[in-house]
Amino acid sequence: MQPAYEWDFSIVLEYREVFLRAIGMTLTLALTVIVCGMALGLALYLVRAHSWRVVTIAVTGIVEVLRAVPPLVLLVWIYYCLPILTGLSLSGFQTAVLALSLYSSAFYSEIFRAGFQSIEKGQVEAALSVGMTRSQILRRITGPLAFQRVFPPLVSQCVLVVKNTSLAGYIAVAEILYQGQQISIRTFRPLEVLTIVALIFLVIILPLTFAANALEAKYRKKYFG
Amino acid sequence: MQDTSGAAPLLTIRGLRKSFGPIEVLKGIDLDIARRQVVGFIGASGSGKSTLLRCLNFLEEPTAGEVRLEGELIGLSEKGGRRARLGAGELSRQRRQMAMVFQQFNLWPHKTALENVMEGPVVVQKVPKAEAEARAVALLTKVGLAERMHAYPSRLSGGQQQRVAIARALALQPKVMLFDEPTSALDPELVGEVLKVIADLAKEGMTMVVVTHEMRFAHQVCDQVVFLDQGVIADMGTAEHIFGGTGNRRTLEFLGRYLDHRN
Repeated sequence: MQPAYEWDFSIVLEYREVFLRAIGMTLTLALTVIVCGMALGLALYLVRAHSWRVVTIAVTGIVEVLRAVPPLVLLVWIYYCLPILTGLSLSGFQTAVLALSLYSSAFYSEIFRAGFQSIEKGQVEAALSVGMTRSQILRRITGPLAFQRVFPPLVSQCVLVVKNTSLAGYIAVAEILYQGQQISIRTFRPLEVLTIVALIFLVIILPLTFAANALEAKYRKKYFG
Repeated sequence: MQDTSGAAPLLTIRGLRKSFGPIEVLKGIDLDIARRQVVGFIGASGSGKSTLLRCLNFLEEPTAGEVRLEGELIGLSEKGGRRARLGAGELSRQRRQMAMVFQQFNLWPHKTALENVMEGPVVVQKVPKAEAEARAVALLTKVGLAERMHAYPSRLSGGQQQRVAIARALALQPKVMLFDEPTSALDPELVGEVLKVIADLAKEGMTMVVVTHEMRFAHQVCDQVVFLDQGVIADMGTAEHIFGGTGNRRTLEFLGRYLDHRN
């Protein structure tokens, strides 16, 4: 019979400073990637929707490749190959931001595309008929409407971004999972540490999704009674 | 047949053609619309009447021919005999002189009735907010919706939504109002309230072009009725001419079929 495993969470308290710093790193990385990824995703969609055919095909190709490549491969490739090819050497954090933003931008752009395509043509025609320009229509009519419609998948994608930040540990960015592994190597307590890592992600993500659901319900009630 | 006040027509349409791929929907339309005139477009589905209306404010780009408002070419610029699409700013200025009311209302669902009416003046015409609001409130009062001005479109009936859409179009202070089957999407009991607003505008002397299936309305309100059949003007004249039994054979056939269908 195996001896019962004795759980000991006291080491977590011992390393709480490290955990707190790691949480800070994960949040910073996630927020940066969400902002950059969304901006890039919107730009990709707009270029794809309102450009010459050649550009549209090129952007579609880029989006498909980014979606198909495993994010870890993208991360490692940028970290090791970019310096060889271009002489440009990025820090671990910069690499993580670049790789994860590129990766998530492909998904954001698809989400935005679904949103904009779901808007009835008549909404745009009404705006054109009062004399609005393309950019006014985007900012005042189609943008806000598309954003509301794709809010749930947009939030899902943000949750995925938060989780994908754990890949950055692979190139020694001191986020939660990376620090957790460092601590467990030192303390021989991987089960306790991984449990805590999982709990931290839950604590970050659950409020995000609750807030998102509440916001969505509010919108729905306001506009669609 | 023409209004003989001697003034130049407000809108002139010459040799207008429109194709969608291999299908030619408009096969050469010539028409003058005078100031203060109410012109009705009637015809079967697919006759091209909505397409013609949408070519007027360049929501559809004509394949050939031209539309002029007070002599100004719509949607295109002429330089040395060559024509090119107008820039966004110019097109915007021209479009808001010809405000449009749509079959499906097309109110913006994330804006209240008041905000829908204020949007054009504030965003496009740069009218100060307070002034635009006063104008919007006056127009919503005029169409009988003063109490509902803070409601979102989803809380309004179809008839109310269409009246807000008419106020939104009027807020631009256009030279012409274009109506694209304004009552076709309404429940029968709501048609009357919308037609009344349009008839009131006619009495005030607003120039209007109305694509409609409401023959009685066309008869009572339109000065001039244009019957479109397979992309050409098959007949046109006063409402009396078209509906009084003196129209040509195609008109009489259409009206006969139409009334049979209705009854």
